[in-house]
Amino acid sequence: MKALMNFLEKYFVPVAARVGAQRHLVAIRDGFVAIMPLMIVGSLAVLVNNLPIPVFQHFMTAHFSTWKSLGGYIWTGTYAVMAVAVTFSISYNLARSRDKDGLAAALLAFVSIIVISQPTADGGLPLGWLGSQGLFIDIVVALVVTELFCWLMGNPKLVIKMPEGVPPSVAKSFASLFPGIIIVVIFGIVKFLTVAIGVPDVYQWVFHVIQAPLMGLSNTLPAAILMVFLISLLWFFGLHGANIMLPIMTSLYLPALMSNMQAGVHAHYIFTTSFFDAFVNMGGSGTSLALLVAIFIASKSAHYRDLAKMAFAPGIFNINEPVMFGLPVVLNPMLFIPFILVPVVLVIISWAATAIGLVPHTMILMPWTTPPIIGGMLVTQSIRGGILALFNFCVAVAIYLPFIKLGESAKVKAIEAQSEAAHHHATQST
Amino acid sequence: MKRILLVCAAGMSTSLLVTKMQKSAQEQGVEVFIEALSEAAAKDKIGNYNVVLLGPQVRFMEGKIKELAKPYNIPVAVINMMHYGMMNGKEVLAQALGLMG
Repeated sequence: MKALMNFLEKYFVPVAARVGAQRHLVAIRDGFVAIMPLMIVGSLAVLVNNLPIPVFQHFMTAHFSTWKSLGGYIWTGTYAVMAVAVTFSISYNLARSRDKDGLAAALLAFVSIIVISQPTADGGLPLGWLGSQGLFIDIVVALVVTELFCWLMGNPKLVIKMPEGVPPSVAKSFASLFPGIIIVVIFGIVKFLTVAIGVPDVYQWVFHVIQAPLMGLSNTLPAAILMVFLISLLWFFGLHGANIMLPIMTSLYLPALMSNMQAGVHAHYIFTTSFFDAFVNMGGSGTSLALLVAIFIASKSAHYRDLAKMAFAPGIFNINEPVMFGLPVVLNPMLFIPFILVPVVLVIISWAATAIGLVPHTMILMPWTTPPIIGGMLVTQSIRGGILALFNFCVAVAIYLPFIKLGESAKVKAIEAQSEAAHHHATQST
Repeated sequence: MKRILLVCAAGMSTSLLVTKMQKSAQEQGVEVFIEALSEAAAKDKIGNYNVVLLGPQVRFMEGKIKELAKPYNIPVAVINMMHYGMMNGKEVLAQALGLMG
């Protein structure tokens, strides 16, 4: 155990730390974080439209026959164009991280994705490809445009020098003129060439050749287990696993959630961002709220109980740093096994429950601070989602319990041995 | 007044610590301004503070934050895990005050 931990600390942690601080992944992560409030607004619109309360539905339909179109409008403005929003915010963040004009870069990224998109027959923007289905290609475009922009802006020959006396904001808008022209023309040519070689819509092509297969692959049980395993492992070494994995998790599992939302009863992606939030990460990574309950049940240690009391309130809102570092879970060999095991077991249970139809597919996005069980109900729009979350929670408590007891007895023995040794020492020295 | 910035992933768990630190500062009669921000939000505002402390869960950002803080000559450090977990406002405040000298 000790050798394994040393090995991981030496080889795994530095790599994870580098990934966590990698510029492009950080830009993607912050880009997604920035658009989350919009996604939640869109999600709430769907939630209200589909509220599974017959009385409410009858009342609304009877009195305001077209009431659902309001939710539809909100959905169109948020979810339906999420790839555009995230392109903008990823590009902004990446340019800012290189100390360049974030707004100029973000505008260029926005323009570039429109340049390569395929207008509809009557000349409109293809709404179907501006949302989750266009996510992968748009992330790539955002990164490429911004890197190009930052690189071109660093070339003094391309920057138009304004005479003194010109207001700085005017000078700034001209500074990005040449880089902007170059980038937009490049993407125009890309679009031209793809059409010429027989790919009229790159969005469609990237979706079918790259995004859909990747989403399919990530929506398998082994992939989902790997994700939660990695998050727990990172947390065990005191690194914010959920944060480090967020760019990957969101890119793969948010489109799956949105596909479910659109498909309604025909939803078919089992694993979504909401799946992990509602059924697995209750109280935070490692289902740590269950660990606190296990402590209340079984622990006699004053430190454990005090900490559990303090950490419980934040835990209800899925904030678990106090548990991770205070208990601690981090680098605590006694808790290594359950902390890794619990999320994996819960993923398997929830997968099975969804696959055999006991629980509806997840299709609503909630803030990650939504308390457990309530979250389960909301994301599935069904009481059965809440029951599954409750069941999972009990399973997690049951897995943590023996390890708490085990750790307790080991701790008591250690303290006894220590005091005995001290006693021995004291008697000897007198 | 000295200004202390705490940084974590979303600025949520550190905001808990901020209240504890403020309480401790009040008891000691130390006048400080303490704020918790996410890493993304901290980037643009780092120049407004006298010291930056990182939550241990985002210690991998230390290099980057140090780079950002360098032009302003602001000390950056990672909060001790145990102090962080126990939300020990007194110790973390002491660390911050110590860094500012």
